[in-house]
Amino acid sequence: MNTQDYISSGIVESYVLGLASPEEMAEFEQMCNLYPEVLAARNNFEIALENQAMQNAIAPPVELKNKILASIDTTPVTKIIPLQTAPVKNLNWLKYAAAACVVALAGSVYMNITLSNKNKDLESNYNSTVAELSDLRKDVAVLQSNPNVKMAAMGGLEASPKSFATVYWDTASHDVWLLANNLPTPPTDKQYQLWALLDGKPIDLGMLDYDLKQKKLLVRMKNASGAQAFAITLEKKDRTDVSTPQGSMYVLGKL
Amino acid sequence: MLQERNELAFNYLYENYSGALYGIVNSIVTDKEIANDVLQNVFVNIWRKIESYDASKGRLFTWMLNIARNASIDEIRSKGFRDSQKNQSIEDNVDIAGASIGPSIDDVGLKKVLTKLKGELRILVDMSYFQGFTHEEISKALNIPLGTVKTRIRSALIQLRTMIQ
Repeated sequence: MNTQDYISSGIVESYVLGLASPEEMAEFEQMCNLYPEVLAARNNFEIALENQAMQNAIAPPVELKNKILASIDTTPVTKIIPLQTAPVKNLNWLKYAAAACVVALAGSVYMNITLSNKNKDLESNYNSTVAELSDLRKDVAVLQSNPNVKMAAMGGLEASPKSFATVYWDTASHDVWLLANNLPTPPTDKQYQLWALLDGKPIDLGMLDYDLKQKKLLVRMKNASGAQAFAITLEKKDRTDVSTPQGSMYVLGKL
Repeated sequence: MLQERNELAFNYLYENYSGALYGIVNSIVTDKEIANDVLQNVFVNIWRKIESYDASKGRLFTWMLNIARNASIDEIRSKGFRDSQKNQSIEDNVDIAGASIGPSIDDVGLKKVLTKLKGELRILVDMSYFQGFTHEEISKALNIPLGTVKTRIRSALIQLRTMIQ
């Protein structure tokens, strides 16, 4: 699978129109992060759809606007409660009300602090994820701009149809980089192995040290002197002879 | 101050987008009175959820369009609406989808584009986009394999794109 096939598969339209499944949506968002051309295709369709909707706009009845405005609370969250001078006979009630206010205020302050902390956590998580992605994008861009580097987009096979991964192979230096776009986390006793396929024979390019926590999506593999295609299999960890694949093939892609 | 600013923001959204959103609401909810209520819900929802809008996932209009579509579908699937339309089962809806192949005066916007699609593809897009049925529901109702429903809808959407560009 290459990105052009992916773009023209109808996923862009499904996603934008809200018809994609949660899995397809997650995959598409990841593709948008990794491939500028996918993002551009999404943006183009969004603009076309927006223009189409604008051309077919129907003006709502004029009186509807005020009705809607009235139903929307545009007032700020912190409301000012006017102080009232309470008559003496209501003093008892006022005491309870005041106590309730103090409790409510304390609760509100607590919520504010908790939410603000949560916000900070989310923000720092978000920032570090964005930084990682931008590093990754830079790395991929460097690889893509190198004229010696060929790309093989590996699409999912029967064992895992939704999987896909990308190999960047420098035909001059023979360096191999693997981008694990979407591979399921392997069971603890198994690991992924990358293969170069040359004249129908598999050549071991090393194990993918798969660690989701490290989020190392782009991994340097063993060098390949020749290849027509690349594939990934899921193999047992304790295998003695790693020169031939034994497990099932997850992804496969030609250069 | 804050209230003034909020009203300005609301005015901006309403002036710029209410027509386009009303158009999409009307393509799903055909009753004008109900469409007005739905548009109100749409703006209440936009207003309530605007903080959760994530620009990395798409344009603001796309986000609002999906809110409008969801609110419209929620409405036509609500009990009150179904009672008023007397079509309570999916089979009835299928009949309606099948019967709507001929051109209709009410067809506006995307729905008008839809009329250019071939019969079966049109039914599939109508059911999934305008009536909110899941692929599974469509597969059962039309007795078409799930995979086929998915690939046909995808191919219909690709055709739709070329029509609106």
